[in-house]
Amino acid sequence: MLGVVVVPIVLLAWVSLWGGRAFSTASPLTFDNYARFFANQTYLKLAGSTILHTAILMVVTGVLGYCIAYFLTMKVRSPGWRLALFLAFIVPFWTSTLIRAIAWVPFLGVNGVINQALMSIGATRSPIEAFLYSVTGITMAQVSLYTMMAAGPVVYMLNSIAPQLREAAMTLKATPFTVFRRVTLPLTLPGVVIGQVLVFLNVMADFATVATIGGNKHALLSNLVLLFYESSQIRAASVVAVLLMICMLVGVVIALRVVDIRRLGVER
Amino acid sequence: MDTLAPALAHPPQLTARPQLDLELRSIRKRFGDFTAIDGVSLKVEKGQFVCLLGPSGCGKTTTLRCIAGLEEPDDGDILIGGKEATKEPPWERDIAMMFQDFALFPHMTVAKQVGFGLEMLKKPKAEIKSRVAQVLASFEIAQLADRKPGSLSGGQRQRVALARAMITEPRLLLLDEPIGALDYSLRETVMLELKSLQQRTGISFIWVTHDQNEAFSLGDLVVVMNHARIEQQGSPEEILRRPATAFVASFVQGNNLFRGRVAEASEGLLKVETAVGTFLMPHLAGVVAPSGSAVSFSVRAEQITDTLGYRHLNRLSARCTAVEYFGSVRRHVFERADGEVLKYDQFGAHSARIVPGQIVELGWQAEDTVLHSGKPA
Repeated sequence: MLGVVVVPIVLLAWVSLWGGRAFSTASPLTFDNYARFFANQTYLKLAGSTILHTAILMVVTGVLGYCIAYFLTMKVRSPGWRLALFLAFIVPFWTSTLIRAIAWVPFLGVNGVINQALMSIGATRSPIEAFLYSVTGITMAQVSLYTMMAAGPVVYMLNSIAPQLREAAMTLKATPFTVFRRVTLPLTLPGVVIGQVLVFLNVMADFATVATIGGNKHALLSNLVLLFYESSQIRAASVVAVLLMICMLVGVVIALRVVDIRRLGVER
Repeated sequence: MDTLAPALAHPPQLTARPQLDLELRSIRKRFGDFTAIDGVSLKVEKGQFVCLLGPSGCGKTTTLRCIAGLEEPDDGDILIGGKEATKEPPWERDIAMMFQDFALFPHMTVAKQVGFGLEMLKKPKAEIKSRVAQVLASFEIAQLADRKPGSLSGGQRQRVALARAMITEPRLLLLDEPIGALDYSLRETVMLELKSLQQRTGISFIWVTHDQNEAFSLGDLVVVMNHARIEQQGSPEEILRRPATAFVASFVQGNNLFRGRVAEASEGLLKVETAVGTFLMPHLAGVVAPSGSAVSFSVRAEQITDTLGYRHLNRLSARCTAVEYFGSVRRHVFERADGEVLKYDQFGAHSARIVPGQIVELGWQAEDTVLHSGKPA
């Protein structure tokens, strides 16, 4: 734990504080690198759009993931079907993020599957170019990549709710929607929050999808790290990396404030 | 005179007829190949305490869930308060239910939990608050108002569940093994409390249990179920003294069950031949048992005696295997010639005469012998 997690982080933070022109361990420690980052409007805008993009994805995957989880656990009665559907949802996760991102290219392209389908049903006459190499495309791909991350913990929480709780609410005159709002949703909230944390962390760190689907025309903070790294601006790269980490930490802390994840599964 | 006549002809019947809180008209329910309820009919009068009694899997819980609306019967009608309710969802029925493990909402405080039903009825906040406080006080759980169920004991959970169900004053309270999850030492007290609560409020209780002590000490009406059907319904005394079927006789404690064939159906008494002798018993009202037909009958352990007189026409010799003393009762366990067990209960005040190993001639009166209807199981 100390060797693999703490040491690299400390190193990263240390490098981000290096001043001077020379790239050596003898560099004076300064916040100049950070000051330079915050002085640049483009970088700040990028940080803002990264957070906005992540927020949109969290909302979309959260709602979609909850619907899928609810459908899988509540509406699919046959255990065989439930397993089959669940596998269909999670099997794609056995490949790497990069490969899954690339797999979206033939779908989203000008002559891709989605455009062909839209044209064949007459929804559009000319192919929509906005899918590939655009923010829309990135969002669509990421939604498909991360929805199951939002759904998984919710499936677990839904399964842990005793059916008698919903029945008890019904015999107390609660309509199905009220049962959901007052009993099911509050009891699955920890699952929702964990799912959101997973999505948040992954989207913030996901440079591969943005690079492939965005076609290097679009970037988020994680791409900036890569960009700086590839151009040997190690100090700048570590500054962005540290800021990214701080963002993620803040996100997780907020999530923990909302729900006590440590008590998950203990409460009945 | 003329003006009085029409008035006498009609209205009194309407008011005199007792109002039914619940009526089941031959309801049926299947789950795949399994028949859970097979033609159950039941009438519950206003303010009655009804116990559905039977072994597990007999359909008593499914019957309760049908009444609650949590299951929809495949066939038959359910009337609640005289109103057709078969297709009504649970939230539209005038019922409340207490679940076996209490089904308390883990995320709500006791006060929120108990007020839930009133909240669903859209009562004003102030009214809910005062009513909850009042109900919590009457169930002696006011000090738990801000606690969550996770930190409550079994007895406290039971009270919270009951308060939550009773607060809306439903017409029917359905209870699924409501004290089954409690410690044995608590059950007696809770039973007495629930009985007096039921009598005070006049709410009809439908209590599902597999414990005959509960059913006989609480129920105004006991409904014995087996294999998805009602075997017998009646007052505890009727069921204890006159078991209608071989199942009821064997399920209810204290009966000695015999199987045999009708040897002679004379005017006065029926003569039945069994592996351990021939016994006399009264005919069953309205049932003709022809000679040679297979029948079953029973006699209660306390009707048997070893002080035989001329009235004890039914006699049988058996070997005593054990004597159990319960204070009020001394129970003698005998082995019959056919290997079955025969129980003979004597008042505990009598001095012990029979010792294990002894062969004793026992007897009982023909009138105390109960012939069963239906095929012997």
